[in-house]
Amino acid sequence: MKFVKAISTIILTIILVYALNRPWGPVPALGSFLSPFTGFWQNGEKISDPKGETVLKLDSLRDEVTIRFDDIGVPHIFAKNDFDLFYAQGYITAKDRLWQMDIQTRAASGRLSEVLGPATLEMDKNSRRLGMAYGAEVNAKIALSDPKSREALLGYTAGVNAYIRQLAKKDYPVEFKLLGYEPELWKPINTMYMLEQMTLTLAGRSNDLNMSNVLKKYGNEVIKDLFPDYPMLQESPIIPAGTVWNFEPLKIPTAKTAVTTDSVLINESPKPEIKPEGIGSNNWAISAEKSITGYPILANDPHLELTLPSIWYQVQLHSPDLNVCGVSLPGIPSVIIGFNQNVAWGVTNVDADVYDRYKITFKDASQSSYWYDNQWKPTRKREEVIFVKGQSEPYREQVTYTHHGPVTKYSDELTGSVNLATRWIGHEPGNSFLTFYELNKAKHYDDYRSALAKYVGPAQNFVFADNGKNIAITVNGKLPLKRKDQGKFLLDGTNPDDDWKGWIPAEQNPFVKNPPRGFVSSANQSSTDPSYPYYINWIFSPSERAIRINERLEKMASGNADSLRMLQNDNFNVLARTVLPKLLSILEKTPLNSTYKAAQQVLTDWNYQNAPEKIAPSIFEEWLPALRSAVWNDEFESPNAPLAYPSRDRLLYMILKQPDAKWFDNVKTPQKETLSDVTIASFKAAVDTLNARHGAMSPSWQWSEVKDTEIKHLSRSLKPFNAPHLKVGGGTGIVNAITKRNGPSWRMVVELGPSPKAYGIYPGGQSGNPGSPYYLNLLEKWEKGELNELVYLSSPDQQNPHLTSRIILKKK
Amino acid sequence: MNFLIIFIVTAILQLFMPWWTIALIPFLVMIWRAKSGFHSFITGFLAIAFLWFSYGLYSHLSTDGIMSNRIAEIFSLPNGVLLLIVTTIVGGIVGGLSGLSGYFVRKSVQ
Repeated sequence: MKFVKAISTIILTIILVYALNRPWGPVPALGSFLSPFTGFWQNGEKISDPKGETVLKLDSLRDEVTIRFDDIGVPHIFAKNDFDLFYAQGYITAKDRLWQMDIQTRAASGRLSEVLGPATLEMDKNSRRLGMAYGAEVNAKIALSDPKSREALLGYTAGVNAYIRQLAKKDYPVEFKLLGYEPELWKPINTMYMLEQMTLTLAGRSNDLNMSNVLKKYGNEVIKDLFPDYPMLQESPIIPAGTVWNFEPLKIPTAKTAVTTDSVLINESPKPEIKPEGIGSNNWAISAEKSITGYPILANDPHLELTLPSIWYQVQLHSPDLNVCGVSLPGIPSVIIGFNQNVAWGVTNVDADVYDRYKITFKDASQSSYWYDNQWKPTRKREEVIFVKGQSEPYREQVTYTHHGPVTKYSDELTGSVNLATRWIGHEPGNSFLTFYELNKAKHYDDYRSALAKYVGPAQNFVFADNGKNIAITVNGKLPLKRKDQGKFLLDGTNPDDDWKGWIPAEQNPFVKNPPRGFVSSANQSSTDPSYPYYINWIFSPSERAIRINERLEKMASGNADSLRMLQNDNFNVLARTVLPKLLSILEKTPLNSTYKAAQQVLTDWNYQNAPEKIAPSIFEEWLPALRSAVWNDEFESPNAPLAYPSRDRLLYMILKQPDAKWFDNVKTPQKETLSDVTIASFKAAVDTLNARHGAMSPSWQWSEVKDTEIKHLSRSLKPFNAPHLKVGGGTGIVNAITKRNGPSWRMVVELGPSPKAYGIYPGGQSGNPGSPYYLNLLEKWEKGELNELVYLSSPDQQNPHLTSRIILKKK
Repeated sequence: MNFLIIFIVTAILQLFMPWWTIALIPFLVMIWRAKSGFHSFITGFLAIAFLWFSYGLYSHLSTDGIMSNRIAEIFSLPNGVLLLIVTTIVGGIVGGLSGLSGYFVRKSVQ
């Protein structure tokens, strides 16, 4: 009996310990997770001691490094050589952002399922099929063979790993504890994965399949009419219209008419072909003549998905031959957007057509050769192995590569399936890192131009200003030499005529230096007017932000940092100014009940500001998409074989200049609808939607409430790690481009001059730890549209009221 | 006395040993010097509960509950204090059961 009792209580205890020592579904192993000695309790952090000084003895450092922190948690790193500098950047970035670096690398390399299980297998398959790993491997090889990038990558890697190696389990970021896995050591190729991920986000899709479906269904006349190659109503291109192209262009492949033989493609796993609006950016610089400081002032706000931790990490890097400050991307050594003693630069996305699909004809099901240039050409295979948590056998897939790129199978309505190869700039070997490395050290305009020539992609509009009072902007990246509209539709993989024919020479990429108008700017709109000899893309972001920015900069005189900051926060709705008077004039002619009348009145009284507390933008922003659907859905809605929709500019042109266009008629009804009918119906539908979602018109209709901007934790599932509700204005097509999930992920303004003064903010905080006081400490200022002055030091012992603790890294 | 021994030894070992040390120490201490079954369970429970509670409370207060309140929400608890109580009870039950097991082993070899 005694034994029975002893054994049964021991067994009971063991069962309990076992149950607490393993995860149950999404619940982490509770024993270690709840233990205050090892669990999440260890992840709570305090404000760092302002006088704190820590000395760390670390492996493989070459010399001593001093890191000063300022009161918002930004590290200012002082090293004596490149290796140590990037070592310290890696160490400190990992200290604040280790889980982010891990999960983003996993997402880019198709290795999420290893730690998250079957739920992410499709995502992993997609990134493997697209050849993300292939692209990263090609680029890593090049980066490691160049002495400068090699030093930076090896230093950064050593630094990240020095941090990981000294971590005890209890110190792991809380996400590792919650998800039940461990950080793995950093590798130089991870930096390439991060760059690859950026390329995917900014240049990783195309509308070509949906366009081909339109071509097939409606033919060339409709394409010419509804999908023109340049905006019809309004545009304000990046390189000012009339800029002279001072070069002899290469021979441009001859144009050919799009063929209509392609079968309609069926999208089995519907995914957005078009980048959601709101991923884009603004940047500009005003000349010394327009500024009150006598030197140029530069501004940049990249619009990306807003997440926690932020995609950006602020840092200052100082060594004997550089002193740069700004934001970095965790996982990539150097500063990506910033300034130094002499220059400042920023980026916006170009949206070049660098993602094309080719229809491939294989000899047989083995896919070992494909028809090209009238002969069978051998393919290459690459085995992708994806380990899946909880499954003993990994998932394996042979991805076939043609000279165009990796091949993916799609469904098609004629033959059942079609094989498409993807030709993508993400596969192009290069060393884009060097561009940032050289910009970090740049002293004047020529350095900027030579740094840019090394860049591959994703193509960016690099804005620039220097202390020599130059301002410039370059539409920059390795841009394929194509015939006009090559890639607007699906291409023929058997025909050499459809290949990319080389590259636009870097020095012939569109750029402008010190234009007469006294400013340069970009907001993802058309790179140039139609006079530029080469094809970059047939469609760019809508022009409203650019129009507003250029109008305000045109008028600006005696500008200072604050004038540019206010422009970044500009909520003016150019779209409303363009189209709303016309729409309201239609509404006026029709009798409306009191609910609709009230909404109409609000719009009539509106000053076109998408301010957070206004109700008018809520109605307008509901109405325009409803109107767009009312006009196009009857012809273009096609869930199985998706069709591209005509652009916003095309719709506006039709409303304002072609009120009798046949497209206003709903072909699915017997009667004939007019512009007036769809306007009134969509207005009522919009008001009804708002009523249904938010009740009768009240403060709950305020724009910030209706838009409901949210900033989610990168896990997307851990809600308590999200940001609280935000009261912000702006929106799609607004300079202050805050949509529901995307927006200014970093706002920066730099006043050039003998001692540069810079300001910046991003929504979040330096620490990726939700248990840190530095997790959300910048959010409130960002929400209000304010900027922090960026602490820019010239020596590690400089006095500055914002400086707090210090860490000294010494070699072991 | 048993309470103190468990509390101190577990506290020290927890600093570098896995969490399940809390199932080991009460067990061993009670094999060595248990008095009664009830007493063994309660002593093991209280020693571990108090250890986890006090360190958890210290972490909670010194960081204004910034992490514990968020984790509490993940577990659908209203605040970090309640999560601290859950932590305390979980630690306590493991400690208590382990102490009781030690007592029964002691009885069975006597």
